[in-house]
Amino acid sequence: MQTIPIPHVDPLPLPGPVWLFTALLLVVFTLHVVLMNSALGGGIWTLWNYLRGRHSEHPYSRRLANELAGMLPTFLAFTVTLGVAALLFVQVLFGNFLYASSILIGSLWLMVIPLVMVAYYGYYYFSYRAEKGTGIAGCVLAVSVCVLLGIAFIFVNNMTLMLAPERWLAMYRAHPNGWNLNLGERSLVPRYLHIVNGAIALFSAILAHLGMRKMKTDAEYGRWLVQRAALVFAACTGGQFLLGMWLLLAIPREIAMTLLRDPLAGGVFGLGLMSVILAMLLILLGSLAEKPSPLVHAGFGMSVVTLFLMVCLRYLLRLAYLKPYVDLGGLAVQPQVGVIVLFLLLFVGGLATVGYMLWLVAQGRRPVAAAR
Amino acid sequence: MNYPHWQLAIPGGMLIALVAVLHVFVSHFAVGGGFFLVVTESIARRRGDGELLSYCRRHSKFFALLTLVFGAISGVGIWFTIGLVSPEATSTLIHTFVWAWAIEWVFFFVEIAAAIIYAKTWDSLDGREHLIIGWIYFVAAWMSLFVINGILTFMLTPGRWIETHNFWDGMFNPTFMPSLVARTAVSFILAGIFGYITLPKVEGREKVARWAAMWMVAGAVVLPLGLMWYFSRLPQFSQFYLNGLIRGVRHAVRGGVGFTLAALAIALICGVWKPRWMRPGVVTALVVCGLGMIGAGEYLREFLRKPWVINQVIYANDIRAAQVEALQAKGVSRTANFLLADDVTSEAYGQNLFHLQCGSCHAAGGYRGMRQRVDGWDADFAADILQHIHMLRGTMPPYAGDAQDRKALGKYLASLNPAWQFQVTDANRLEVGEKVFGARCGHCHTVNGNYRPLRGAFEKATPAQVAEVFPALGDMSSNMPAFNAPADQAAALAAYISHEANRPILHTPIPEQMPTGSNHSQLMRPASPRQEVR
Repeated sequence: MQTIPIPHVDPLPLPGPVWLFTALLLVVFTLHVVLMNSALGGGIWTLWNYLRGRHSEHPYSRRLANELAGMLPTFLAFTVTLGVAALLFVQVLFGNFLYASSILIGSLWLMVIPLVMVAYYGYYYFSYRAEKGTGIAGCVLAVSVCVLLGIAFIFVNNMTLMLAPERWLAMYRAHPNGWNLNLGERSLVPRYLHIVNGAIALFSAILAHLGMRKMKTDAEYGRWLVQRAALVFAACTGGQFLLGMWLLLAIPREIAMTLLRDPLAGGVFGLGLMSVILAMLLILLGSLAEKPSPLVHAGFGMSVVTLFLMVCLRYLLRLAYLKPYVDLGGLAVQPQVGVIVLFLLLFVGGLATVGYMLWLVAQGRRPVAAAR
Repeated sequence: MNYPHWQLAIPGGMLIALVAVLHVFVSHFAVGGGFFLVVTESIARRRGDGELLSYCRRHSKFFALLTLVFGAISGVGIWFTIGLVSPEATSTLIHTFVWAWAIEWVFFFVEIAAAIIYAKTWDSLDGREHLIIGWIYFVAAWMSLFVINGILTFMLTPGRWIETHNFWDGMFNPTFMPSLVARTAVSFILAGIFGYITLPKVEGREKVARWAAMWMVAGAVVLPLGLMWYFSRLPQFSQFYLNGLIRGVRHAVRGGVGFTLAALAIALICGVWKPRWMRPGVVTALVVCGLGMIGAGEYLREFLRKPWVINQVIYANDIRAAQVEALQAKGVSRTANFLLADDVTSEAYGQNLFHLQCGSCHAAGGYRGMRQRVDGWDADFAADILQHIHMLRGTMPPYAGDAQDRKALGKYLASLNPAWQFQVTDANRLEVGEKVFGARCGHCHTVNGNYRPLRGAFEKATPAQVAEVFPALGDMSSNMPAFNAPADQAAALAAYISHEANRPILHTPIPEQMPTGSNHSQLMRPASPRQEVR
């Protein structure tokens, strides 16, 4: 019987405590997912409304597509920027698993780079052409959205494969050139659908939140947006329950049992379920009234909380998957204290600088979107 | 050995180079071009120059589209690529510099935000505020270069880090400052080159053309100073490559100088003297020169580090220096995690070893292909010479495997070409001898050249006297493979060496300036940082 090949951890000690890397990973990954949901979910929303606004008399759809068009490249820019940080911290903790699985699907994994460029340039092209309402612009947007869906599929393959070292050697021997996919993984499809559907759901919550703000300048358009977004949010969130159940049934039984056996994982899961139900109730209740109420904002906030809890749960399940092979607590640690302090100071300074720039923009004579 | 080896049709190092050159080209423009934009805008606003301001506005859109998308994503591409090709080295860099990367990420984040805002707020912010955004962009972009420069230079000159493993020793290593100066100069040159892409057709054309040329001149004045400083701080083995030992390095130096001078000449002629000549074709030539300059520079930087990927820590084939002895003792089959063949005597296992040990720099054919390099080798000779592979001009890591592994790899290397069959006659004896010399001796020696020349040993020797030495070669030095060529080839080789060693030559070989076997291996050994930097 072949032994399971697990690459050794790096001989150098971790340059910071595990809890700090974990915390940073969970925070930046959550932010990455919010932006990814905006780029992907936003792309799907824009495409749907662009097509709807083109072929029939739906002025609000047209308007929404035009407004979102200018935001899509920015969403994608920050999806990548935050994704880089998440990739950095996950490499520190789980590098030996991630490198191995990435190499096994290496050719497809590297395709992510040109694909992101295609999607990104497509979004830029659409942002410049959306107002003209041409068919080509719609096609370009559709290509960008499809490419992003493809990228998500490659990511799901890698993220599931890094948890399945028992599959690595056979896969490597079958295709050492990196043309592999983790199709033997039972949870692959539900996990992928869970993520794509979740992207639409979260962006719908974001749109409901934005719609509330739009109501201040155009009450009717704002209400239309809030109510439409709330309905899509509710439908997709309902779908998330079904897909989530499929996902739970598809992952190995001993991993699923973590939710019952591990109080932390079970607690996070329970809180996540409660928060998503609360988010749905808040958004629906807030939006269904004649005049949507601020409950929608609270619902949006709860949906981000839900996302954070789900990211934490995903992390805990990853630990359960890798339990036989990894002991994060046993890793040698030698913190680079001075550099960590410098990073934290610069991080605060960086946020303040971005905040200052946004303040300058807000103080500007005309809004940024109008200046484009 | 720790990770699966991603088998590509081209060497993995070449893939890294392709991605890196394109990224460096655009990312350095992202630094210099940001400075160019904000300074130009500042001047335009101070002078109330509408033409120049309109140029800045158009250029900022091009700048954002190129740097935000291609520049930023190709940077992530380098990360993806090094993780696939050199996971061991990537892991060590991450463990050493994760906080440097985190700091760089903060600057990257600010840079992206500032670039987007700068390109979008020409109408909505007043001049002063817009310039503030521009300056924030430039400072963040240059700081991003500052941090990454530390990690890149560490790979060649880790300096005191080797002893202390201290972050700051690794970051501010011996080539940090010179490299930073050179890279900043390069970013100025690229700012000028890319400045021509959005050159106005009519209004303000001459003004912008001359202004962009000034940036190139400024960069080109500083660049040689930065590079000379950089070269003076290189480890000894890199200096040997630079001093002409390696043909590829010579070509890279000449290419880099040539492309830079050509770009400068184009800028002076078509930018300063006759701006109307700066047509799209000329601008394209300028961009190609800029790409050539970056390509040569990056090739040089990578080559000067051979056989290491992180000097004294990890070899170019992603094997740790500390693991080599264990691999030589135990063999790859008992050490590697991912092998494709179980029969360690098979050619398939040899091929697998080739991918593991050589695949980061070599493929069977094509660029740096092995087929041509091992033509004339039989399996035994190949297995023998693999023991001394690190002696081949110092650019190769030591072979990390046991005798069984060498046999299997030798078998594979020999299978790349059909065995040589010669009908040696008086007419072709010297020609055959030269071929045999190339296959058996030429990887380490010349007869009359300046690399381990044999003339001193065989001057005045007859072919028969030369041939007498062959059977003892394997015992002569621990660094020499045994000689096992067929008798006819041995006779032809003896005739060739005797002929070459006895023919009059115009210059005297200068072996004392070149590394010999002993000092070469000394150069390759991990040394203390003080010894390492001359």
